[in-house]
Amino acid sequence: MKEIMKITFALTLSCIIAASAMGLTFTVTAKAKKHNHHMNVQNAMMDLLGFGADNPAPSDLAFHSVYRYIVEDGDEKFLGYMVPVEKAGQETYEIVFIDLDGNFVEKLEVPISSELAQEEHDRGKALEKALPPPKTFVYADASVIATAGGKRLGYVLPGQFPGFRTFIHTLVAMDPTFELLGLEVMEHEEDAGLGAEIEEDYFKNQFKGKTYERLKTLEVVKKPLPEEYRKYLERDKKKGEVFTEEQIAEIRQQYKDDDIYAITASTISSVAVTDGVKNLAKKFAYRMDKLDGVLKKQKIRATF
Amino acid sequence: MSTTTKSNAQLFMDGILKENPIFKLALSMCPAVGISTSVMNGVLLGTAVLFVQVFSSCTISLVRNYIHPKIRIPTYTLTIATWVTVIDLVLAAYVPGAYKAMGMFVRLIVAFAIITMRLEMFACKEPVHKSFVDAVGMGLGFMFGMIVLGAVRELLGSGMLLGYDVLGFKPLLFFVLPSAGFFVVGLMMAFFNWIEVAYNRRKEV
Repeated sequence: MKEIMKITFALTLSCIIAASAMGLTFTVTAKAKKHNHHMNVQNAMMDLLGFGADNPAPSDLAFHSVYRYIVEDGDEKFLGYMVPVEKAGQETYEIVFIDLDGNFVEKLEVPISSELAQEEHDRGKALEKALPPPKTFVYADASVIATAGGKRLGYVLPGQFPGFRTFIHTLVAMDPTFELLGLEVMEHEEDAGLGAEIEEDYFKNQFKGKTYERLKTLEVVKKPLPEEYRKYLERDKKKGEVFTEEQIAEIRQQYKDDDIYAITASTISSVAVTDGVKNLAKKFAYRMDKLDGVLKKQKIRATF
Repeated sequence: MSTTTKSNAQLFMDGILKENPIFKLALSMCPAVGISTSVMNGVLLGTAVLFVQVFSSCTISLVRNYIHPKIRIPTYTLTIATWVTVIDLVLAAYVPGAYKAMGMFVRLIVAFAIITMRLEMFACKEPVHKSFVDAVGMGLGFMFGMIVLGAVRELLGSGMLLGYDVLGFKPLLFFVLPSAGFFVVGLMMAFFNWIEVAYNRRKEV
């Protein structure tokens, strides 16, 4: 009996010490970690929109986030879009309810700054105040709209879908006509040397420039990637290959309507990414279209 | 209280050659087979293991007289898990570049046999400085093994070394696949044993 007490005590103490060590590290590093993650996403968004060292972003480039919620009011279900609007020179939010057929229902003010709105917790609190009890809401997703000079430059959609191992987290960028601007893989746990190749230029850049019409029927083909196409896809990273403007235009023209060439021995990962991107883009294009229609009709002056 | 009579240099070299975790002790075979598809993977996983091994060995060695023998294994696991979490968080916060490359490997380490085994066989009996030397030796030995395996598989599987196209073609894609890991590990084990046998025979003559 004495022995077991001793063991219990020793093990409990060890656990407490270990937990404190981990907790302390977490508290100390949480802020820096979050900042890094935020910077990562920002950099990836800039890259996807085509801004970098040799193509600086316009000074008035701004990112506006739209948050989508599923709102239930008794038996009725709506989509609630938290849309940034300008009020007295400051960006705040309004939530716009749209029923499942895409018709406007009502709008409510959600007083929260765009900075605070990035935190799901703070956003939830503000929504709780704006939506009185019979209404319940569940967060669905967010999309980012980039603007500059009063015009939309494009959309960036964070999305996750199941891969071969676990979820693959991506950012997908589209221009205002829903043509794909690019794909960035943020996080994944696919096999090294196989499925992990989804983050390589030769795979992810294949999505660049696919029009919305083409995207709808995009498939994966199990054919070897043509050598010149591979070199073209990897031209940013590997400086060795130099293409002239005409060559780029020519290769682009030749392959722009091709399906996605699968990664050798990783068809499942290739298909997962292709289907994931397709789904994400199609659903977003449909929703954005409906939302734009409602915003226009109701004369809601969103900041994007 | 030290039970080992080996000098520091001996301890260090044992970890790399005579008791190499992969080729001699045959421990942590899952990563050896699964991750060793390229030299870079070997370097990253090796570095991660080296750090976790050193920190865990030193911690256990420091508190070795207070560990209740009946719960030593849970204590080891707890120690390793704590260090893995701490390293993971610190890397993510302050060295984001390294984290991007190594994060996945660091999180894998909690279940590595080699680390628990070194704690059980060595660190729980030996003073801190010996444990440190042993941990560095074992960590480097593991890294060495992973790099050798990675080099063979990367060269034969994808015709590259460290991501640079060396051969210009892919000889056998088979070598990148997990099953090839067994073959390469097996052949390397045979090779290292053969060297040892040959070396010992020459010494006798």
